[in-house]
Amino acid sequence: MATDDETIDEELEEAEAAERSDRIEFRGGKWMSAFPIAFFILWAIVQSGLLRIGDTTGLVAGMLIALIIGMLFAKGSWKAYANTIFEGMTRRVAATAVVAWLWAGMFAATIQTGGFVGGLVWAATVLEIGAALFPAITFILAALLATGIGTGYGTTVAFTTLFFPAGVLLGANPVLLFGAILSGAVFGDNLAPVSDTTIVSAVTQDSDIGGVVASRFKYAIVAAVIAFAAYVVAGNAMSGVDVAGQFREVFVANSEPGGLLHLLSIFVVIATAVSGRHIVEAISWGIIVAFLINVVFGLASFSDMVVFNAPRDAAVAQSLSFLPFVELVGTEEVGVGGSLYSGAEGFFPLIVLTLLIVAGAQIMIRGGGFAALQDWLLDSVATSVRRAETSMVLGTAIVNAMITINTAAEIAIAPYIARLGERFNINGYRRANILDANTSALGYIFPWSGGVLVGFAAMQGLPNQYDWFTRSMIVNPAEVWPFVFHGWLLVTVFLVAALTGFGREYTSDREVKEVARV
Amino acid sequence: MSFLDRYLGGGAFRTTLDKYLTGWSFRTTHPSFEVGEEISVFVTGYENGTAVVRVGDTVIRVPDAPDGLLDRRVRVRVTDFAENDHVGEAEYLETVGESAF
Repeated sequence: MATDDETIDEELEEAEAAERSDRIEFRGGKWMSAFPIAFFILWAIVQSGLLRIGDTTGLVAGMLIALIIGMLFAKGSWKAYANTIFEGMTRRVAATAVVAWLWAGMFAATIQTGGFVGGLVWAATVLEIGAALFPAITFILAALLATGIGTGYGTTVAFTTLFFPAGVLLGANPVLLFGAILSGAVFGDNLAPVSDTTIVSAVTQDSDIGGVVASRFKYAIVAAVIAFAAYVVAGNAMSGVDVAGQFREVFVANSEPGGLLHLLSIFVVIATAVSGRHIVEAISWGIIVAFLINVVFGLASFSDMVVFNAPRDAAVAQSLSFLPFVELVGTEEVGVGGSLYSGAEGFFPLIVLTLLIVAGAQIMIRGGGFAALQDWLLDSVATSVRRAETSMVLGTAIVNAMITINTAAEIAIAPYIARLGERFNINGYRRANILDANTSALGYIFPWSGGVLVGFAAMQGLPNQYDWFTRSMIVNPAEVWPFVFHGWLLVTVFLVAALTGFGREYTSDREVKEVARV
Repeated sequence: MSFLDRYLGGGAFRTTLDKYLTGWSFRTTHPSFEVGEEISVFVTGYENGTAVVRVGDTVIRVPDAPDGLLDRRVRVRVTDFAENDHVGEAEYLETVGESAF
C-alpha cells in the first residue's frame, strides 16, 4: 500500500536525519544525557544490591522507565530522542550479542539435558576423593561444567544441589566447598566461549570470540593453578561437620558416565571458535554434535531437545504423533518445548535489557555526556597507559561490585573500556580480558552478588531433600567471600597485569579479527 | 616441516596454538618502532592541528594525516623514531576502521 510505504520512507528519512544531526540538547546541560544510564544503574543497585531481587526483567522495567523520564529532559522535538533509541538498538554490538546468546543458550541446555552434570558426578565417584581433596576437585569439575555451558549461575545451582551435599557428607568444610563451587563458576564465566559475559566482552571491544578466549587463557590458568593449590591446603586445614549419612546415596542416583561424552561437544565449540571460525558456526557445530551424541547414546531423546506438545483431542496431532518430536498432552500443557527451546528462551530478558541499555548509551553519546565523562577520565585519571589499565580494572570492579547482575554491569561500562583503551592503542583482546575478569569474578564473591544468591537459594531446598541435612549446614552468604579463591586471584592477576604489563598487547602488535559478519 | 606441523595437523594447529601462547610476557609501557614499519593504530588526538597516535606512552605524530580522524583506525608508515624519547613521526597511508563505540 502506497500510504504505508510513504510512512516507512518518512520514518527512515527522519532516522537518517537524526543520525546526521548528532546532538540532542538537554535541559540542565550535557550531563543530563547520562540520566537514563545513571537512573538505570541506581535502579539496579537498589533492586539487586539492596533488595536482593535478581530479576532481569525487573531491570528491563527500570531501563524503560529511565528512557521515558530521560525524554522529559530533552529540549525541542522528542523525535530526535526517540530516533536515537532506535539508532542505539540497531547497533551491531547489540545484534551480535543477541545472536551469540541465542546459540549459546541452545548449546548449554542441550548438553545439560544430555546428562553432562551426571558425567561429572560419575567422575567424582570413580576418583574416590577424600574430604580434604574434595573442595579442590569440586573446583576443577565445576570449572569444567561452567566452561562447557557458559553459565556460572547454572553451574552454581547444579553443583550446590549435587556436589555440595555429597561433599558435606564426606566431611568437607561447607563454607570452603561453597567457595570452591563459586570459584569454578567464575572460571567458566570468564573463559567459556559460550558465556554471556565472554560474548559481551568480545563484541563490545570489536574482537573475535575465539581469539579472546585464547588470549584470556594465560590469566585464567595462572589464577586457577594457585586457586587449586589453595583449595588443597585449605581442604586439609579446615574441618567439616559430622553427619550420619552415606556419601554414595547422594551421588550414585545422579551418576551418568555417558554424560562425559559431552566433553567432545565442548571441545568442538572451543576448537572451532579458537581456530577462527565465526562463533555462530562454532556453536552450531557444538549443537549438532551434542544432539547426535544425545540421540545415538540414548542420553536424551529427540523430544527432550525439541518437541511439539499438541492437544490430545486435535485430529491432525493424533495422526502425526508417530513422529519423535510430536507428543500428545492435555490442554494445559500445550506448547513447544525441549532444550533448544528453553535454552534460547532463557536469554530473552537479557536480550531485551541489552537492547535498551545500548539505546541508553547512545543517548548519552548523542547528548555529549559520554564525551564529558571520557574527557574527565582521560585528563585526570588515565594519564598514562599504566594508569589507564589500572583504572579500567578498578572501574569494572566497582561497577560489578555494585550491580549484581554482572552482564548488565558489563554492558554499561564496556564503552568506557573501549574508548580509554583505544586512546592508548591497547589491543582489543587485552581490553576484552580486562573487562571480563572483574565482571566474572565479582559476580560471585559478595553476599549480594547474583552467583552467591543463586547458590544460597538452591541450598534452601536441601533440608527438604535429605533428612540428615540440617539448616545449620546452609552456608551464610556473608561467610563465603574470603573463600572464592579463583575470583580474588583473577582480580589480583589483572591488577598485577595492569601494573607490570603482563599480557599487555597494543593494537599495532597484532590484528584483532572482527567479531561478526552477521 | 616441523614435528608439530607433520603430526598435528600443520598450519591450522600451529596458528591455534600460537593464539594461546601470545602475550605471555611483560610488555613495556613505551613500545618502540622501526623506521619503515607499517602499523595499524587509532588516532588518539590532535596537537595544534597535527594528528597524534599514542601507543602506550609512546607518541607518534602524523603531520600529513587529514582532519577528523580522532578515534579512527589508520594505517601509517613510521618515518622517524627516537629510541630514547619514545617519540616518532609517521606518514599517513589510509583509514582502515573505526572505534568500537
